[in-house]
Amino acid sequence: MSIYENKEARLPLERVQVPTDNHYRMRMKHHGLLNANPRKSGLLNAIIGYALLFGAAHGVLILAFQVIPWLLITLKLERNTFWFNVVYGILSPVLAFLFIAVVALINILMLRKYLGKVQNRYGPLHNGPSGSLQTVYDALKLVSKEDYTPKMVEETIFTLAPVLVFVSAFLLMAVIPFAPGWVFANVEAGAIFIIAAGTLGGYGVLLAGWSMNNKYGLMGGLRAAAQLVSYEVPLSISLLSVCVYAGSMNLSKIVEAQQSLWFAIPLFIPFVVYLVAGLAELKMTPFDLPEAESELVAGFNTEYGGMRFGFFFVAEFAELYLLPALLAVFFLGGWFPPSIPTFNIPLLTEWAGGSSTLLLMLKANISEGEASSWWNTLFQPGGLLVGIQYSFWFLLKGAAGVYFYMWIRATLPRFRDDQLMELCWKGLIPLSLIGLLLAAVSKLLPAVGIGISILVGSAFIFLIARGAFFPSKQVKA
Amino acid sequence: MTAVADKPNNARNTSGSVMNPTSVERVAGRSDEMLLNLGPQHPATHGVLRVLMGVDGERVTKAIPHIGYLHRNHEKLEEVRTYTQCIPYTDRMDYVSGMQNELPLCLAVEEMLGIEVPERAKYIRTILFELSRIASHMVWIGTYMLDLGAITPFLYAFRDREMILDIIEETAGARLLPNYFTYGGIRRDHHPRMMQDILEFLTWFEKKLPEYEALTIDAPVFQARTVGVGVLDPQVALNHGVTGPNLRGSGINWDLRKDDPYDAYPHLDFEVCVEYGCDAYSRSRARFREFRESIKLIRQAIAQCPKAGAVLPKLPRLKPVAGMERYRAVEISRGQLGVHIVADGSEKPWRSKHRSPSFCTLQALADMAVGSKFSDAIAILGSIDIVLGEIDR
Repeated sequence: MSIYENKEARLPLERVQVPTDNHYRMRMKHHGLLNANPRKSGLLNAIIGYALLFGAAHGVLILAFQVIPWLLITLKLERNTFWFNVVYGILSPVLAFLFIAVVALINILMLRKYLGKVQNRYGPLHNGPSGSLQTVYDALKLVSKEDYTPKMVEETIFTLAPVLVFVSAFLLMAVIPFAPGWVFANVEAGAIFIIAAGTLGGYGVLLAGWSMNNKYGLMGGLRAAAQLVSYEVPLSISLLSVCVYAGSMNLSKIVEAQQSLWFAIPLFIPFVVYLVAGLAELKMTPFDLPEAESELVAGFNTEYGGMRFGFFFVAEFAELYLLPALLAVFFLGGWFPPSIPTFNIPLLTEWAGGSSTLLLMLKANISEGEASSWWNTLFQPGGLLVGIQYSFWFLLKGAAGVYFYMWIRATLPRFRDDQLMELCWKGLIPLSLIGLLLAAVSKLLPAVGIGISILVGSAFIFLIARGAFFPSKQVKA
Repeated sequence: MTAVADKPNNARNTSGSVMNPTSVERVAGRSDEMLLNLGPQHPATHGVLRVLMGVDGERVTKAIPHIGYLHRNHEKLEEVRTYTQCIPYTDRMDYVSGMQNELPLCLAVEEMLGIEVPERAKYIRTILFELSRIASHMVWIGTYMLDLGAITPFLYAFRDREMILDIIEETAGARLLPNYFTYGGIRRDHHPRMMQDILEFLTWFEKKLPEYEALTIDAPVFQARTVGVGVLDPQVALNHGVTGPNLRGSGINWDLRKDDPYDAYPHLDFEVCVEYGCDAYSRSRARFREFRESIKLIRQAIAQCPKAGAVLPKLPRLKPVAGMERYRAVEISRGQLGVHIVADGSEKPWRSKHRSPSFCTLQALADMAVGSKFSDAIAILGSIDIVLGEIDR
């Protein structure tokens, strides 16, 4: 006999007992909503997770720039000989791919954790310490999915497009100097190369949108093209100002020119322009028009799945690191630790070489022949420990940039396409031209140029914050 | 194409069949128009709405809403249920503010049968009604900001909405579809801690409101995306029967809580939030001001609510006289929700017609969206805050 048939089991309404336990309060307490503190002991876990992941990134760099050359040298291939270059040239793309993959995985995880933090939720939690292996599983899932091509697509271009986007990120990676001498390709015209390689990715997005025979994709591709011509000009001009000021296009030389003063101070305007235009190049939130998910479903990658989509995804998140890394190269002193005229953070090895008696004793205890080999590999300029310290500062600056972009992504809504173009053509391009002019001025008259540039740049930031470049202003009722 | 050309020229009509467009008009001097099938599966349609959009590049040339994907026959089902059994169906129409939907039916039947609602029940109804309005507007903030590309406000809004739903769950037993109001009052007295919990929530929420405003209506990018977008002329709005914050955002002072008060509203002091910009920004502002008005209303109602007393009188047999009919409308979060009940002397309504606010609002979509950018069309669709369950019923 069910409860509905049993008349006696049904109580009159007045006798129904309302539960008096306060599960509403309990639940709020459980979620930590009352004091808005979603995590109690997440920090340590997070530090461990990030340490693991940054360790991995560092490991790849050490492998690429220290271990492999050392192995080749032990195989009697001297540096900068023909066969060394051939073998290292074959190996370096593999290593670059490894670095890109690691960095992309880290960035995806960082974004998810950071957004979780901002949005009062946890983010990935279960796989690995603090969820640090979650993206690895995600990547494995993408790889294991079916390689699917829709029927009506332009197949060659459809296949080529994600490769183009990925290669673009790959090429950007090739010229970035992580530490003195730690660079895959020390190109003389590095700045020009970066502009060219970055634009290639825009082509990939445009072609992807066009080839997939999908209306949302087409609109996404066209928006990407409109966006590309808008942000690429101020971006290039701001890089040009750096080249003018540094007197070189080689990225390593640009970094070396910033040993005493980061270019972000004398070249404040190009720095601001690069920050904004870089955001547009990343296709991140205020400028994520090509893949605006609430408008165009997934925009230019609507029809992609499996590893084809994975290429877009990895490239996007690799660029999310590479653009802040380039920001560090051009404006934030690259691999140099933060230094202001009265206070220097010295490199650990400088202490070691100068005053540490322990290390001096160590130095004395070994024979001269031995010293020249392992001492050099560790402590001399170009050695392992020096490289690690320099690249640590470099990765840190990149990570700071990534967090800055993520912060913006977590906060802002999306621009309309004409507002993006308005901002770029009417705001950023004139500003970057002023920046170029002031770069030349500050080369000759440092105080005047730097003063004006900081003034103009601050005014521009203020205007952006007030919404000055957007066509419609708030109307007062 | 020829058959189409003979048709009277309707600016908003497609060529070809409306449901299955086959060809596209080509206008001299213009690029090709592309027909875009927005929905029924699309992230920005708030359910299963299909909007047939003509886009010329980024410019919207047509916006024809096709509805019915969520039709569940509620009005017909109510005709074969007793009056008491009808109430749960009303919950399921506007599922975002379920509790508010029960009220017009209750009011109509109470008036038909001359049932006197106890004061205490009236106040409790009003409190929960306004609480549901806050919860519903929270969903609007979240989804609208998702439409505009910001994800964070969504999670903030749902965090706080969850607190309201917990309060409702504690008292009514269900979060979204409470089935709590009934003819003559409310089903049972509220949870002993409800008033205290609500006051606590209001304190929390008042603290959080400036945060929401900073992320939404005060943010420059939000203003850039909404000011001057989706202008709804007051006359057009009236012609379409648009109500609620959408009408008040077009500068028309019309609020049934003031103009045709029910329950405890005559005893409460509040302001009708009218904004004069007629655009998506004004509609947003109107909703944000309603948050503060709702808080004010709830505080007053809790203060005035009798501390003890019956919440449900002895009911007569729910069997209105044949031929009796009643239309009763209330101001729910989306506008004017009306119920027209016709009795035939049995315990089941002969006809139950719901006048849903979102249905009327959606008809004004084309007037707002045509001529704007595609991104703006999404911003407009979000700004009118429709719920498909209520449109299709």
